[in-house]
Amino acid sequence: MTAWLEERRRTAAEQNEALAIPSGADEHWRFTSLRGIDFAAYASSEQAAAGSPEGAILADGDHAGRVVMRDGGVVLEQIDPSVTAQGVVFGSIKRLAAERGDLVEPVLGTIVGYDEKFAAENGALWTDGALLHVPAGVKVELPFHVAYEIATEGAAQHWRLIISLGEGSEATLVEEHLPGRPGYANGVAELVVADRSHLTYVVVQDRHDQSLHFAAHRAEIGHDATLEWAACSTGSKTGKTRMETRLIGAGSTGRLSGVFVVDQKRHLDLDTTQEHDAPNAISDLAFKGVLLDQARSVWRGVIRVAEGAHGTDAYQENRNLLLSPNARADSIPGLEIDTNDVRCTHGATAGPVDPMLKFYLRSRGIPPLEAERMIVEGFLEDALERIPNERIRTALTTAVMRRIPL
Amino acid sequence: MPDLVIRNLHANIADSDTEILKGIDLELSKGEIHAIMGPNGSGKSTLSHVLMGHPGYDVTAGEVLFEGQNLLDLGADERSRAGLFLSFQYPFAVPGVTVANFIRMAVNAHRKGGPDGTDDPIRIPAYRKQLMEAMELLEIDKSMASRSLNDGFSGGEKKRFEILQMAMLKPKIAILDETDSGLDIDALRIVSEGINRLIGPDMGALIITHYQRILDYVTPDHVHILMDGRIVRSGGAELAHELEASGYANISQGVSSDGV
Ligand SMILES: Nc1ncnc2c1ncn2[C@@H]1O[C@H](COP(=O)(O)OP(=O)(O)O)[C@@H](O)[C@H]1O
Ligand SMILES: [Mg+2]
Repeated sequence: MTAWLEERRRTAAEQNEALAIPSGADEHWRFTSLRGIDFAAYASSEQAAAGSPEGAILADGDHAGRVVMRDGGVVLEQIDPSVTAQGVVFGSIKRLAAERGDLVEPVLGTIVGYDEKFAAENGALWTDGALLHVPAGVKVELPFHVAYEIATEGAAQHWRLIISLGEGSEATLVEEHLPGRPGYANGVAELVVADRSHLTYVVVQDRHDQSLHFAAHRAEIGHDATLEWAACSTGSKTGKTRMETRLIGAGSTGRLSGVFVVDQKRHLDLDTTQEHDAPNAISDLAFKGVLLDQARSVWRGVIRVAEGAHGTDAYQENRNLLLSPNARADSIPGLEIDTNDVRCTHGATAGPVDPMLKFYLRSRGIPPLEAERMIVEGFLEDALERIPNERIRTALTTAVMRRIPL
Repeated sequence: MPDLVIRNLHANIADSDTEILKGIDLELSKGEIHAIMGPNGSGKSTLSHVLMGHPGYDVTAGEVLFEGQNLLDLGADERSRAGLFLSFQYPFAVPGVTVANFIRMAVNAHRKGGPDGTDDPIRIPAYRKQLMEAMELLEIDKSMASRSLNDGFSGGEKKRFEILQMAMLKPKIAILDETDSGLDIDALRIVSEGINRLIGPDMGALIITHYQRILDYVTPDHVHILMDGRIVRSGGAELAHELEASGYANISQGVSSDGV
């Protein structure tokens, strides 16, 4: 292993040792309890499980490249030669950390640090994942596809992703967390969206209903650059997903559109930030959730506006539909504003299907269950229609609606 | 028997003792146009809601027969599929569901209603054609078909889309609750022409209004005056004009002298 990588793993390992598993005393973990989870019971391994993954919704069709990670290692790496010819680098991050340290070293651990327990653990233990590097000015039309799957029951999967877009470049990457077998996933994604570049990033989290899913995704967006981020969460038993955008360049844009469906006794925790560190940047976050049975969701979203980030336009909302009286959704929006001349708005709601709206649909002949389904689909569509790519939009709609037993 | 028979209908606000409808009797058949006029708060919308099966009211007495069938036993969707339609005074926005999809779902629900439960969805090209024709009739811009129904629509637009739905569902009896309110004079003419084209031997209408404005375009066969949850007078088209001239206050005085 190269010295710089060893050094980073050591730093992360030390942090991991020093940090306790978070408890309810920590503000960010007030609504998500990790009590009773025996993390040590999950077996970490660098081994890849042979075979092909199942249950992906966006793996069909043409891609610029594909990576599949099963358990601890990558089992498939593909890249379109015409994309390679443009200087694009895409593939296993383990392999590329050795072969292309020049691409990995400047990013790894610099965007998501080791100051939080799960990120520290990942920093110490990550085994593989993917890296995408797009040189300045290069535009790739077709999407890149990365799939993660736990293939062996009880396995731990420590994945890592780096996306690094050069100035003025464009790319789309779809990241799917497949159902697979019950296990423990903990990952980190670091995104560099350089000046004037445009990244479309799609994350589909459909892990097994009994799996633990922890992830920290964080992006830094440069001058006049855009991150178009779509997130769809339908899987996992519990865990926490951090989705953070830091707007470091003037005039940058970060849009995050998310939908989630949680059923049974499952628990979903989303922790988002929109960090305005530069003037005239736009951030816009909208999450729509549907909760069934005794499910629970927690969304905590903070808009942080640094001194000097004048002309900030920040928006965040989380709206939840409760399809069962025993389901619960907590929304905790927060604003931390250190500058004048900003526009920050937020909204959060949770409630059942409006009986009057349902009556309106029924008055047109639509039977009760169908009416409810239409209302739910329409509710989610409001967030999904923000996703510009039609193919992705349709796939996400199907993915969420198949979870709703109406 | 008339197609719609309302006998001694009483209704409360759900789970309360507040009675809004205090004994309504009305008979209406296909091919007829009835108008119900009454001041604000007299119970006009409550009557239309109760007939459609709104969950916010309890029927405490009386009966409603639709083609001989007990309407009050049916859910709102079944009433619709049986051939009843309500153009809402305040239509609901349906976020995320386009006009085209919404109406197609409704049309298909009506086509499914057969006793054998057969499913006979309309073919998309045929549906598009019908929808476009109906939109043209109501002078609705075609691009509106791909917008979420009533979401951000103006009051007048919502009313046009109610009538568009009526045109597509072809009910036997339509209740139009203050369809004229919110329409400017041109829109009122267009919508009224649409209504006139749709009403015929196969369709009857109950036009609810508190002005006589719409009745200048759609001529009623019968006019009923509703006050405080009761029909206090019934008459021909001339009653609407009388009301226009003398106002509701004098009509209510007329109640005692006429002994209606
Ligand atoms: N759900 C309700 N809750 C409280 N009051 C109601 C409700 N529905 C109707 N009302 C009351 O009943 C009366 C009749 O209302 P409505 O039928 O809307 O009158 P109209 O349509 O003739 O203006 C009004 O006084 C109104 O405030
Ligand atoms: Mg009314």
